[in-house]
This record gives sequence, C-alpha cells and structure tokens, in this order.
Amino acid sequence: MLARIGLEAGEEDFYAEQLSGILGHIDRLQQVNTDAILPTAQVVEIAATLREDEPRPCLTQEEALANAPAAVDGFFRVPSIQEEA
Amino acid sequence: MRRPPSMDSSGCRRSRKRHNRVDPTRLTIGEVQQLLRDGETSAQELLSLHLDRIGSADEDVKAFLRLTEPLAAEQARAADKAIKAGKAGPLTGIPMAVKDVLCVRGVETTAGSQILRGFKPPYTGTAVQRLFDAGVVMLGVTNCDEFAMGSSTENSSYFPTRNPWNLDRVPGGSSGGSAASVAAGEAMFALGSDTGGSIRQPAALCGVVGMKPTYGRVSRYGLIAFASSLDQIGPFTRSVEDCALVLETMAGHDPLDSTCADRPNDVRKGLDDGVAKMRLGVPREYFGVEGMEHGVKTAIEKALLVLQSAGAELVDVSLPHTDYGLAAYYIIAPAECSSNLARFDGVKYGMSEQDAQNITDAYMRTRRLGFGPEVRRRVMLGTYALSSGYYDAYYLKAQKVRTLIKRDFDEAFRQCDAIVSATSPTVAFPLGSRTQDPLSMYLCDVLTLGGNLAGLPGVSVPCGMSAGLPVGLQVLAPQWREDIALRVARAYEVASGMRVEAALV
Repeated sequence: MLARIGLEAGEEDFYAEQLSGILGHIDRLQQVNTDAILPTAQVVEIAATLREDEPRPCLTQEEALANAPAAVDGFFRVPSIQEEA
Repeated sequence: MRRPPSMDSSGCRRSRKRHNRVDPTRLTIGEVQQLLRDGETSAQELLSLHLDRIGSADEDVKAFLRLTEPLAAEQARAADKAIKAGKAGPLTGIPMAVKDVLCVRGVETTAGSQILRGFKPPYTGTAVQRLFDAGVVMLGVTNCDEFAMGSSTENSSYFPTRNPWNLDRVPGGSSGGSAASVAAGEAMFALGSDTGGSIRQPAALCGVVGMKPTYGRVSRYGLIAFASSLDQIGPFTRSVEDCALVLETMAGHDPLDSTCADRPNDVRKGLDDGVAKMRLGVPREYFGVEGMEHGVKTAIEKALLVLQSAGAELVDVSLPHTDYGLAAYYIIAPAECSSNLARFDGVKYGMSEQDAQNITDAYMRTRRLGFGPEVRRRVMLGTYALSSGYYDAYYLKAQKVRTLIKRDFDEAFRQCDAIVSATSPTVAFPLGSRTQDPLSMYLCDVLTLGGNLAGLPGVSVPCGMSAGLPVGLQVLAPQWREDIALRVARAYEVASGMRVEAALV
C-alpha cells in the first residue's frame, strides 16, 4: 500500500515469497560490525552549490502540459482528492 | 572475430577506391574520422550504411526500440556542411545510439517501461546535448531493462535484446541494447547508464569497451533517475581511444546537476603512456565470488600476464567486505528507486488510469499496469527498507556497510594504482535462464557494483573468449582517475593486439 502499487491476491503471495528470499540474502548485513561507523549517503566530496534566486527561462505552460494524460484549463486534471462530504 | 590490428586496420589508413574499401560499420571512430576528413566517405553515407546495417541485423538482435531518422538526416547534413567548411571535430558525423533513459527533446523516451509510453521530453539532457554540439548523428533509442533494473535486458517491457555473438544468449544489461548495437555494427558508439554495472557488464558480454565514470564526472541532467547516488552515464565503443574521446566530450561541470563536479577534464591524460612500473591490484575476493566460471577466470589470468609483460607489477590486494556488497546495494538502490519512481503517478505524463474512485485508487491502478515485475519488486523492497521500524535495520545499516566498502577500496588504492578483475563472473547466459530467480540475476553485478557504491571510475575492455563468447577485463581506478583506468585498458588493448570486431559479419 505504501508503495502505491495495486496487487491482486495471487500476486501478493508471489512477491512475498520472492522478497523473503532476497531479504534472506540481505540479512547477512547484520553480521557486519558497524558500531562507530558513519553512514555514507553520497560518496564524492562536493560542496553544496548555491546560485542567485533569479528567474530563468523555463518550460511554457503548454510545454509542461504537453505530456499530460488529462489537462483542463491549463491545469493537470486528476480524480477527486477528497471524498465528497 | 578478433584479429590483430595489422590485418584489419590497414585498409582504412590507406586511401582506397570506393568499391573495395573496408566497411565503415566495422571501424573505430578514429578510423572513420580519417575517412571523413579525406573525403572517402560522408556523414550522410555513414548514416545510410548504418541504417542499412540496422535494417539487416536488428531483426535478429533487436537492439533498437525506435529510430530517429529525420533527426539523424538533419544532423548528418549539418555534419557534412561542417566537414566541408573545415570545422569538423573528432566526433562530427559519427552515428550514435542512445539508451532509452536519456531524454532527447521530442524523441519518445520511456525507460523501457509501459508507464512512460508516449512520453516526449520537452528538453535534451546535458550529456546528449554536448555530443550533439560536437556534431554526432543520433540513429535511435536502444532497448534496456525497465528503469535500468536488470542485468539481461529481459526486463524490458517491449522485448528482449539478443547477444550478437549468439542470438540465444542475453546481451547483459541493463544497457543491453546499446552494447549489442555497437557489437553488431549498427552504431559506432552508444550511450548507457550504470547504477550497479549496467554499462560494464553488457560491454563485457557483448565484447565491446564500456565505461562508468566517477560519480559526478558526467551530468545526470536529463537521465531518468533510478538510484541517484549511484547512477552515471557512460559510453560503449569499439576501442579504448574512442571511449576516452566520447567521455571527454560528455564530461564536465553542469549547473543543472548539483552533483556534477567542477574539475579539470583530464580523462585522456597520458592515455598512451603504458603500464610500465604501474602497480595493478588483484583483489583475491573477486576471483572466488559465487558463480565464477573457470573459462572467465582463465581469460582474466591470461590478461593479467599480458599486462605484466607490458611492465606492470601485479599486487595482491584485499577487499574484505566484498561478500556484503550485494546486500548493501540491494537495500540502497531499491530505497532510492522507490523514492525516485514515486513521480510516476499518472498525472504529469505517461500511462494513466483515470477511471478511479479517488486519486489513491488512480495511483494504485496506474502503477500496477505501468510497472513490470522487477520494478514492482524493487519499489516494494525499497519502500519496506525505508519504512519506520525497518529504516535502521536495513537502510541505515546498508549505508554504514557502504562506508566500509568504500574504505576497502581506499585501503587497496594505497597499495596499487588500479584494480583489475573480471567484469562479470560469467559469459553471456541463455535467454530465460535467470528470469525466474531474481537473486541469481542480481549476482551478475557482484564484481561491478562495488565501483558504484564507492563512486569509482571503471572500464570494461574485451580480453578474449570463453566457450565462444566474449570476456571483459574490468579496470577500477580511484575517484577522478579515469585517466588511469583508461591508460591501463589502452595498454592492454595495445599489448594484446585485440581488436573489437562487429560480431555479426
């Protein structure tokens, strides 16, 4: 549910079994002593780069919507976000 | 299929009459560039020769998803004009294939997935744009595993690509279409992306040169993201010189990718300096990995002797956390992909199931129909690893192991200039032989993913055959030392007299 991928009943068992097998291999990570080891999220030392917050050329509204499955009045169209009261 | 250079390259150095000259679809970029400058061929003729080659070979190989003929014709005309005006560069008029993960303005780009069917990017990514600016001619878009997740190109939602050396075998993956197109003589070079080995492994399996640069060397702007801390764009070519040339053209700072470093573009430095007095590290763990084939090991041992004869010193090194690399990778890459792929929601582009009760239902339906099994597996695995309660046990733990793997390489590079090993533990395997067991497919990358976890540059260069199929030698170098990796690969190429030939003759 959190992954936002709809599955049917049979598929749930299929993926549960496969993912259990993969997690079985991944569990070997627990054998490694990582006390006092810092996590690595990014391997290359690069300083954060900032730029002036100035307007630059960007996509037109038409270009931005060109790939939209559904658009209305210059907006993306989506199913209702809130249930009707 | 490989012959010493003396047998093949003579025809292209000497001017020959049109009727009996060598077929340009089997030459390197450097050789064809000479033909272009001498007026022996034109960009437009090269284009039509390659389209003919695609016409005759791709029905079997199936490297291409779609051709971009109008764009190619326009670029070839412009290239010929530049050549006539004496303004040609080393890549002017050279035909290229592009993996289906690199955005090109107006060209359908789908990451091998149904969820992006019909998507036409409104912009061109930096790496491709720099090649366009250098006069390259784009032939078309190549097949790959869906969202670059896979090692055989069988996870493409369209069709599997076949290995040009043996059509019953996989080309490797995920950039299998790009590797196969270069091996089959359909393109002079191709672009791929490498997150755990997706350039180097298919290069090895198809018998061509392939390189993943240092993380941050090539801008990722316009690359459909899989795992953002691991992804890099790189070339497939028929020679190490060509590889260095294409990489140099793409590389360099780009304000549109904040992780793309502002550093000197020195990847071709000392390319022909050889390996005399260089220390090459041989990691003992990389020779004993699960599934290592005897024939591959033998080919690599022979290649190491060639390097030794060329003056290199072989040093025994250790990468003690090798056994944990795959496990760390299969937490980190899925975690990043589950976050990156959240954007495919059926709202902004691509497939959309609007016939839904509410927006959550629409997401669920769109993603169920749009994503294939491997992408679903990884999104679920990554979502699980990042969820509260499991974050520390999986994601944080994997990041700490990543630190240890990087330290292993740092330690090894104190004893050697570069690390040499097989690129893949096996040669190309039969289609369908690993698709039922995801873990067996993941093991294809066991020798390459360390380079991604540590951000290192790595090149795979063909080094002979096992059971009639190509074997690749991997050279890994410290961060930002593409020059060393390429220099070792080039020295091997020269010393061995190997020459990449198009596999289908």
